[in-house]
Amino acid sequence: MLEARGLTKRYGGFLALDRVDFHVRRGEILGYLGPNGSGKSTTVNMVVGLIDPSGGSLRLDGTHILDDPEGYRRRVGYVPEEPHLYTHLTATEYLMLVGRLRDLSEQTLAQRVAELLRLLLLWDSRYATMSSYSKGMRQRVLLAAALLHNPDVLVLDEPFSGLDVTAGLLFRTLLRMFVAGNRMVLFSTHRFDMVEQLCSRVVILSHGRIVAEHDVASLRDGQSPSLEELFVRATGQEDFTPIAQQILDVIQTV
Amino acid sequence: MTAIAKWSAWRRISQTVEWRLTTHFFGAMFDFGILTPAGADSLTHFLMGGIGCLLALGLGATRVYAAKYAALSGAHSPEPYRLAVLGDDLFLIGLPMLILALLTVLVSHSVFPDERDFRILSPLPVRRIVIVRAKLAALGLYTGMFIAVIHLALAPLMLLTCIGRYREHAIVWRFAASLISSVTASLFSVLAITALSGALMLVLSRTRFHSLGALAKSGMLTALVLCIPFVFHLPGLGRAMSARADWLMLLPPSWFVGLEHVLLGSFDSWFLRLAMIAATALLLASSVVAGVYIVLFRHFEALLLRPPSVSSGWLRRLADSQTVQAFARTRWTGAAAPAFRAVRRFTAATFARSQLHQGVIIGLSACGLSLALRRLVGSDLMSHIGSSNPPSLSFMGSIAWAPFALMFVCGIGIRAAIALPMAHHANWIFRMTESEEGRREEMRAVNHLAIAYVVGPPVALAVVVMWLLLGSAAAIIAAFIVSAVGVVFVHLVLLDWRRIPFTCSYLPGKRLVAHTLVFGFAAFALFTSAGSVLLGISAIRPSIPVAIASALFALGWFLQRRRFAMWLETPLIFDDDLPDQPLQLGL
Repeated sequence: MLEARGLTKRYGGFLALDRVDFHVRRGEILGYLGPNGSGKSTTVNMVVGLIDPSGGSLRLDGTHILDDPEGYRRRVGYVPEEPHLYTHLTATEYLMLVGRLRDLSEQTLAQRVAELLRLLLLWDSRYATMSSYSKGMRQRVLLAAALLHNPDVLVLDEPFSGLDVTAGLLFRTLLRMFVAGNRMVLFSTHRFDMVEQLCSRVVILSHGRIVAEHDVASLRDGQSPSLEELFVRATGQEDFTPIAQQILDVIQTV
Repeated sequence: MTAIAKWSAWRRISQTVEWRLTTHFFGAMFDFGILTPAGADSLTHFLMGGIGCLLALGLGATRVYAAKYAALSGAHSPEPYRLAVLGDDLFLIGLPMLILALLTVLVSHSVFPDERDFRILSPLPVRRIVIVRAKLAALGLYTGMFIAVIHLALAPLMLLTCIGRYREHAIVWRFAASLISSVTASLFSVLAITALSGALMLVLSRTRFHSLGALAKSGMLTALVLCIPFVFHLPGLGRAMSARADWLMLLPPSWFVGLEHVLLGSFDSWFLRLAMIAATALLLASSVVAGVYIVLFRHFEALLLRPPSVSSGWLRRLADSQTVQAFARTRWTGAAAPAFRAVRRFTAATFARSQLHQGVIIGLSACGLSLALRRLVGSDLMSHIGSSNPPSLSFMGSIAWAPFALMFVCGIGIRAAIALPMAHHANWIFRMTESEEGRREEMRAVNHLAIAYVVGPPVALAVVVMWLLLGSAAAIIAAFIVSAVGVVFVHLVLLDWRRIPFTCSYLPGKRLVAHTLVFGFAAFALFTSAGSVLLGISAIRPSIPVAIASALFALGWFLQRRRFAMWLETPLIFDDDLPDQPLQLGL
């Protein structure tokens, strides 16, 4: 189980994340929802070890990640929100780079890279540098890089942006099968439909605090409010009509 | 027109889309995609300082020229004066040509509208012709600014070549002709480089343009930097010019000297031929540039938004074959740790494809090579090859100096190049996979690359020259000494290095330019002197080079151990910081 207890992050005087608690069980996809600036990316960056928490703890299967940070990072795969890649490399070169940094043997790596490129429909573009790739193609490269070392935990930050319908369907199926192998996914997103279709639980974040936590299955029974209604209530953004009206006023009259 | 009307007209122009785009494109010429806003400010100050230095150098050179022409005017015969003027005409045309060519190569990434311009500007209500005109105007502003500054700096020198006692034309006419031909030559220089860049852009596919374009740019940069010492030899070519040597037809500055003489009314067939070549070359370069702009204007989408090529080419297919793959796995498995291979391949691929990084390392290394060659040529190397007389001490000093000069500049070049970031936001993959053992291997890969680059070319230079002059024994000794000095030098240059190449953010101007220059020159003088002394005394007795090389390799080993220990204990740096010690005013 991946468990966060009292996770806090301060940037000078600004409190980006305030004593956040959540856990991801094995075999589970946890949805992590929140408006922009709520602290989602800060949480994700701490979970993947890119930034250190100011307080609180993160444990994987009961072991504090700071006790063995390198061992922890070897078990985590990450797909960032923006496709930040070395676009002067080809997809093959990038995946080989990632695999070597992850200490995979050359033979395993060459086979895995070739197969992943074929399966993710990147084979025909393997000689082109990624500067010429579309956003969806880059997103597929990132997913391949995250899976290359067969991780235990997958941390996804808006992984579906830029993907076409076919690739989106493939990813959804892949994630379900991934967690069925007793693994974990932390899934940070803005999209309610994805959470409803993929996640077993959802945590809603606002202003750096957890404001709601629900079983997604219970939201589908027809009796409970929808995830969207829950979200707007929990984040205190119930009526957007006045803001929408003001925007129209600005472009029409100012 | 009154001042108010002029002001209103200027305000109207400055608020047009075209003018705003022009100023944007002009600014983008100084944007290499790696600087923060603070860094860009720092670069602007640096450029202003550079322009000031150029003007000051021009004034400094005026004193030297004034003395030279005073002496020539006092001579009994007009011949030395005439030869000096011919040579100086070549120089005063060739120098601006070279500077402008270098400046154009540096901004060749942004002289034509590219994919980014198209993607950003297409959705806006801006006509394509406006984009193309703005690009051209920005190029015109950029080159115009530098042509003006350079000719302002050189104007006093030009004037001095016009006012001697033995002058053949009225001062004003001669000065005007010199200025016109020099400005035309500079324009030709800009157009020729732009034409080459444009032709490459049209000929190469979108996927190949990145790698081959970078190589072509680096090739041009190297060729131009290697020309620097030869430009300073141009004043000595007055006699060849006077003798109408045929090979001068191949020297672009001489074409424009011909133009100058035709402008002054000469009907000499030699000058007419040179002027014809100048006009043809200018016309050809302008036509190619105009053609590229027209083709880009008409077929932009087809040319720049082509889908990535899926054809692999024979080299790729060969690399992809089962046999080669199996061989590669056998060759590399167990030869080096995966992290080592990762950084080595990443560094090699970045140098192969990034114009900026290639430009920095090749540009600086070419400076080193040109310094070394200039010294070797200046010391009359060719006449000593095969000679039975023992070489003099001063000649041996020059020979011993050259490899170390090349080594110093290559060392600075590689450090400067790997410090510049490449897609800084993508460095998360290195941060996420950092480990103690991996870090050591990654830094070892940096070391290997740096040693290969910094030691290899100087050793090759030293071996070739020593072999030709003193035989195989001296060449072997030189190889040992130069290698040993190189290993120590690399460890010193990278003593505090804790970065994976191209992954750390970059803050320029952390130190004062004057401080860096003074320190750099002092270090260069000390290093090259110490290196040449070590190589010199190695020739005295056979036991000496063994002792020197052993001591140096031991020092290298000690430095390497120290750095290995640091890599194990200290995390890598991914964000550049300002120095933590405040600058002291010393009041």
